[in-house]
Amino acid sequence: MRRRLWTSLIGVVLIVLATLVYNVATDNTPILGLDLQGGVSVILAPVEPASEQDLIIIRDLIRDELERRGIAEPDVRVQGQTIVVDLPGVRDQGDALSAVDVSGVVELRPVVNFSDCPAPDTSAPALGLGEDTATTVAPATSEPAGFRRPQSPPADSLPTDSIPADSIPTGTTPTDTSPVDPVVNEPVPVTPTVTGAELLPTRDGSVVCVGPAQGTGEVFSKGSAQLTGDQGWGVAVDLRSDGQATWNALANECYNATPTCPSTQPGVRGQIAIVLDDVVQSAPQVNQPNFAGSVAITGDFSKAEAEDLVNVLNRGAFPVQVEAQEARTVSASAGSDSLQAAIVAGLIGMLLVVVLLIAYYRWLGLVIVGGLIVWAGMVFSMASFVSGWTNYALSLAGVTGIIVAIGVTVDSYVVFFERIKDELRNGRTIKNAAPRSFKMTWRTIWSADVVSLIGAIILFMLSVGSVRGFALYLGLTTICDLLVCYFFTRPAVLLLSQSKLMQKQEHVLGMNVATA
Amino acid sequence: MTLDNTISSSGLGRLFKGQTAIDFYGHRRIGLYTAVIIVIVTVVSLFTQGLNLGLDFEGGDAWDIPASETFGVAEAEQVLSDNGISTADARIQLRSSETSDVVTVQVEELPREQAAKVTADFADAAGVTSQDVSFSFTSSTWGSEITKKAIRALVVFIIIVSIFISIRFEWRMALAAIAAMVNDVVAAVGVYSVFQFTVTPATVIAFLTILGYSLYDTIVVFDRVEENEGKFAAVRMPYQDVVNISMNQVLMRSLMTSFSSIIPVLSLLILGSGIMGAVALQEFALALLVGMISGVYSSIFIATPLLAWLKRDVGRKTYRDRLVGDDLRAMVMGAGARARMATETAASTDGEGDDGERGLVSTGIGQPADQLLTHPPRPRKKKRR
Repeated sequence: MRRRLWTSLIGVVLIVLATLVYNVATDNTPILGLDLQGGVSVILAPVEPASEQDLIIIRDLIRDELERRGIAEPDVRVQGQTIVVDLPGVRDQGDALSAVDVSGVVELRPVVNFSDCPAPDTSAPALGLGEDTATTVAPATSEPAGFRRPQSPPADSLPTDSIPADSIPTGTTPTDTSPVDPVVNEPVPVTPTVTGAELLPTRDGSVVCVGPAQGTGEVFSKGSAQLTGDQGWGVAVDLRSDGQATWNALANECYNATPTCPSTQPGVRGQIAIVLDDVVQSAPQVNQPNFAGSVAITGDFSKAEAEDLVNVLNRGAFPVQVEAQEARTVSASAGSDSLQAAIVAGLIGMLLVVVLLIAYYRWLGLVIVGGLIVWAGMVFSMASFVSGWTNYALSLAGVTGIIVAIGVTVDSYVVFFERIKDELRNGRTIKNAAPRSFKMTWRTIWSADVVSLIGAIILFMLSVGSVRGFALYLGLTTICDLLVCYFFTRPAVLLLSQSKLMQKQEHVLGMNVATA
Repeated sequence: MTLDNTISSSGLGRLFKGQTAIDFYGHRRIGLYTAVIIVIVTVVSLFTQGLNLGLDFEGGDAWDIPASETFGVAEAEQVLSDNGISTADARIQLRSSETSDVVTVQVEELPREQAAKVTADFADAAGVTSQDVSFSFTSSTWGSEITKKAIRALVVFIIIVSIFISIRFEWRMALAAIAAMVNDVVAAVGVYSVFQFTVTPATVIAFLTILGYSLYDTIVVFDRVEENEGKFAAVRMPYQDVVNISMNQVLMRSLMTSFSSIIPVLSLLILGSGIMGAVALQEFALALLVGMISGVYSSIFIATPLLAWLKRDVGRKTYRDRLVGDDLRAMVMGAGARARMATETAASTDGEGDDGERGLVSTGIGQPADQLLTHPPRPRKKKRR
């Protein structure tokens, strides 16, 4: 028993010491927030004049996107006609520029031709597009079979991908959906030559000629896109009630291979290119003239590609496109003295607490001192690791939160020692009282800390921004509290209570006890 | 045997020795009234003057001033304070790139004339023309989306914590703990509303910290209540007595914990923001201080009396007067369920009212504690070697 206690005690001290040394040696310290350390600021400007409303929408979208990518607690605001993004914990301006390279505008454009633009030539379509072009569009409820093609197909194998519309289950045939029918019947302006066609790059570097945008990402209902993975990765997305008309108009064109959306090779229906910030993400073939409610985009996506598309569709498009103008390093907003003041005040506060506790608990107070040091080391190490992984910055609020956590940590000692006192009053010896007391104390501490942990986990999962950062540090300090309590305080107090030193004491915890 | 278990003659002494016999349940109205007053004051204040939302919530004015060797953050601060604008709520940053440095100053929205004057002052101080100082409005950084998500997270948190407490303890404890927590947060929000302190994202964090702290403190107290409930179940101890006994037993722990939590915050307030002048800490520390005091207070005076009231007639068959005075003291000191008062005099102190602390006249005081117990702990035998 004693040996296990010693193992636990020495083990925890060594582990904390080792991680601390590792962190100090590798200069791995917690990232400090914008208010404490500053960061890099990137100014984004819309390419065309935008209303304040649009800028606010873009602000929220950028913020969401940054958080999704794990850049924690960015400070995004609209200033005048620009959007200012302050990123904590980023030191390099180039990194910052690429970090806020958040794509904005989703366009739906008919595919005119692969390779070159001017004259559509159906005879020899260059198979310029990579795997993500071999995609098909079908109602989400139907699972087309056999759309996958060989990894490196010869050009003539492409047509086999297409699924005739009549092979689609009747439950999802367009005729079921009366609301869209009028739109389908609307005469589509047929222009003999495709005007406004542009050559756009695809994600794998080749080019595609696409016609003018006939719709934006707005046709999809936001947040409805889902990753589907039954037969290769794909994306299912719902159409918005008002977006359905736009989508179907375009789909109808492509299905019928009208000149605006011609068939790029014989036997292949027209294709709709989904363009994100002037890069073709995917150019699925249209397998039916109109769609009811939802669209499934399947094909040779890699999982990451499909996820990207889901993200873009879910996040919603920017009303206008924004461009990064410049990056600047930005100084701490709270002033450099704030952190120093917080740390000094925190340390002095901690010192006072320790003095109070030693005065009150005497010898056992020393355990608190040791425990607090171990706890502080553990919190520092964990914070360093976590900010290395997640980019969560420690703001002034976080620092003060940790100072408050000192109180909660000390509480576990207080609960423990008060319990020991109760037992001593009942005439037990310290040796006997300590293990009994710990059992009761552990129950209490565990229950109370689990409540804190639940709070931390839920706030972390469901909220954003600084609330999330708070949750992270609440969780960290609580876990450290539990660990220190079990692996340090318990063995330390139990060993001390068995030691000759304590056995001989007539005053334990500032009270007279029965000496054995 | 050197047990010094005389009932201390001073209140403080009894406190240290865990010999208090305060009738918390009898004083439940104090807690109730304070809670009601706090809620009323907060609600009235919220409706009449609301909260003073800061830059991050409401947006404001922003200036970009070319920085130079003679004009930096400190100079910008000087201009603001010359214009009577609090620098505590302003955000002043130096933004530097390879080509140029800019001081960005953001403050809460000012009247147009004042803003124009500040622009001119900045230009003067920086030694440039007013045209070189760009003035614009800045939006909030804390979008409504963040608030929405935070509130949703809070609601889920409260539901799940209630379920956890209901499983680990019981639903009445969940209710009482949540009520106490709400009281604490309301108290802290009230301070911000009444004194019109600026609410920043850090303030929101402070409120959340308070929330967590309050729950933590209440759970620790409830754990003892639950333990005693089992202990006294055999004698059908009225719940009010269980609560009173538990409260007296954890009183010292509550006080010690409060001291050790509040000292660092006080240090932050007095040393950090007062002496070292980090104004950013001041209001934050104040919110924490109020919340933590309230957190400890509410565990004792709101959560537990509420719990006792909720359980006032759950599964109890005997209805007798609450234990007070030395009867209570004996129980607090762990005399066990079957204890009787050893001293007849102590047992007949019913006329003394319900106030144990007032019971300095209580006959038990000054007597050896053993006299309170029928079964004093058996003296330890000499250790056999």
